[in-house]
Amino acid sequence: MIDEIRTLTQRLADEPSSLAFLELGESLRRRGQVGAAYKVARGGLNRYPGLADAHDLMARILSDQGDFAGAFDAWADALRFDPMRTGALKGIAFLYFRAGDVDAALDHLHRAAEADPDDPAVPQAIARVRRDSREAGRAAFAPALEPLEAGTEEPVAGRPEPVPAPAAPPVPPSDSPFTGVAPEEEGLLLVDANGMCLAGSLTGRDGTDAAERVAAQLAGLTREAARATRLLGLGSWHSIAVESPDAHLFLASPTAETVLLAVREPELPMARVGLLAERATRAARGWLERVQ
Amino acid sequence: MRALEPWVEAPLQAFLAESAARLTLLMTSSGQVVAQHGFGRSLDVMTAAALGAGIVASTEELARLMGAPKFEALVHHGGHQSCLLAAFATPRGRWIGLVVFGQETSVGIVQLFFDQLVQQLTDSAPREQAPAPRLAENFEHELDASLRALFGR
Amino acid sequence: MSAAQVALDRVTRVPGVRGALIASSTDGLVVAEQLMDGVDGRAAAALTGSLVARLARTTAGAGLRAPVFLHLRGEGGSILAAPGTDGLVLVAVAGPEANVGLARLEMLNAAGRLG
Repeated sequence: MIDEIRTLTQRLADEPSSLAFLELGESLRRRGQVGAAYKVARGGLNRYPGLADAHDLMARILSDQGDFAGAFDAWADALRFDPMRTGALKGIAFLYFRAGDVDAALDHLHRAAEADPDDPAVPQAIARVRRDSREAGRAAFAPALEPLEAGTEEPVAGRPEPVPAPAAPPVPPSDSPFTGVAPEEEGLLLVDANGMCLAGSLTGRDGTDAAERVAAQLAGLTREAARATRLLGLGSWHSIAVESPDAHLFLASPTAETVLLAVREPELPMARVGLLAERATRAARGWLERVQ
Repeated sequence: MRALEPWVEAPLQAFLAESAARLTLLMTSSGQVVAQHGFGRSLDVMTAAALGAGIVASTEELARLMGAPKFEALVHHGGHQSCLLAAFATPRGRWIGLVVFGQETSVGIVQLFFDQLVQQLTDSAPREQAPAPRLAENFEHELDASLRALFGR
Repeated sequence: MSAAQVALDRVTRVPGVRGALIASSTDGLVVAEQLMDGVDGRAAAALTGSLVARLARTTAGAGLRAPVFLHLRGEGGSILAAPGTDGLVLVAVAGPEANVGLARLEMLNAAGRLG
């Protein structure tokens, strides 16, 4: 195992763009070196943000670290890029089972069974969940959580002991990044790369809270805008102004991982919405540096 | 994603990340699978490879009979999923790509990044001569080994 | 001269505009184009179509009507898009010195006649 890690480390050093980080991260995780595994996986994810295998690896590491909310998000990301990824479906099923949501756990396990009918771990997990849905813990899922790669059937060391249900997503600090930017933070939204709201609020035209719906659609926008300007020879992107008959929207990127959205009535000239967004972007950048 | 040869991994991974394809299969013109992403069962990938190679061979023969140049790509539009089938030249011979994609992306995006995939495969391919394809005596054993590599079991 | 060609001609006459094209927003494929050398029409159609679709979902999420114009500004220039009817979108690629205001007016005017 140590030789394998040494070889993989050398391979990654020789060729940083290779996918050797997947094997290296998994080997380190299996040795219980989850801190080192996390660093390797994070580096790989930065290079390959759209790689489902990398999100899956990160999820297993976070799960080992006891960060179940983080693991849930990482597996959800893996499914976004590969909806039939059985490892992620089983991982999320496991987290639902821990949280006591047996129906959701079974739903994900059934999806895993459809995606890979040949995986014997899935029917085993379904049977055990059904047999004793009250019994929490990893025991029922230990085989199901194993990754699908060949030769990885050995038992996993250092699994965390059962703990209560997955934690809720991190709560942003009470101070708003937009204090002093505008009279009210309505219509200003700061979103992370996973489409989660970090700050601000947005009310839809029907009066309901639209922040989460909009944030989910903005996931990946930074990458898509950067891709468009890069491939068309326009360098890095600065902003996107969007005119709807109902509103003026202005998008900017305070950091590489976040998007800021400013929404105002269409009567306000777009250039002024842009100025507001610029102020909010600067404020958000400073706020992110403080809270991270 | 699984690939029989390591140098195929990075270009294919980049394609998958950019195109948001649901299923991708790279194969030789004789239907031998080189890499796959998204297939859950070995039977599916073998069937898809055989059918894809057959379709490409048929359309190329049709083009030859009509005196037309080879078709670059075939796209089948479906209600929920679409499919792109394209043959291309590599230093390792003529390969075929089969890509299934949904409404979360578009045929324009898939074609754009498929062209990049072809270019990157051409740039990444080792220059040494690949062994000529032949049916080995232990063909079945080799097939099993390939499927194990492609499906990790 | 077809309506599409007229639209492309008017947009590409705006100072600083390097090219314009009409794309199918759902497919991201070029329908008609008038581009200077060095502008990749296929890439512009595919990437802009994808961006327009994402931003349409964003406005829909907020209960707003679909965008009628968008301006993606990069350090070396801009991508402008005006979705029209019948799933078509008028796209322009402009340099950093382009008169974006004039291009916007021409594109909004032309987009209304597409389809």
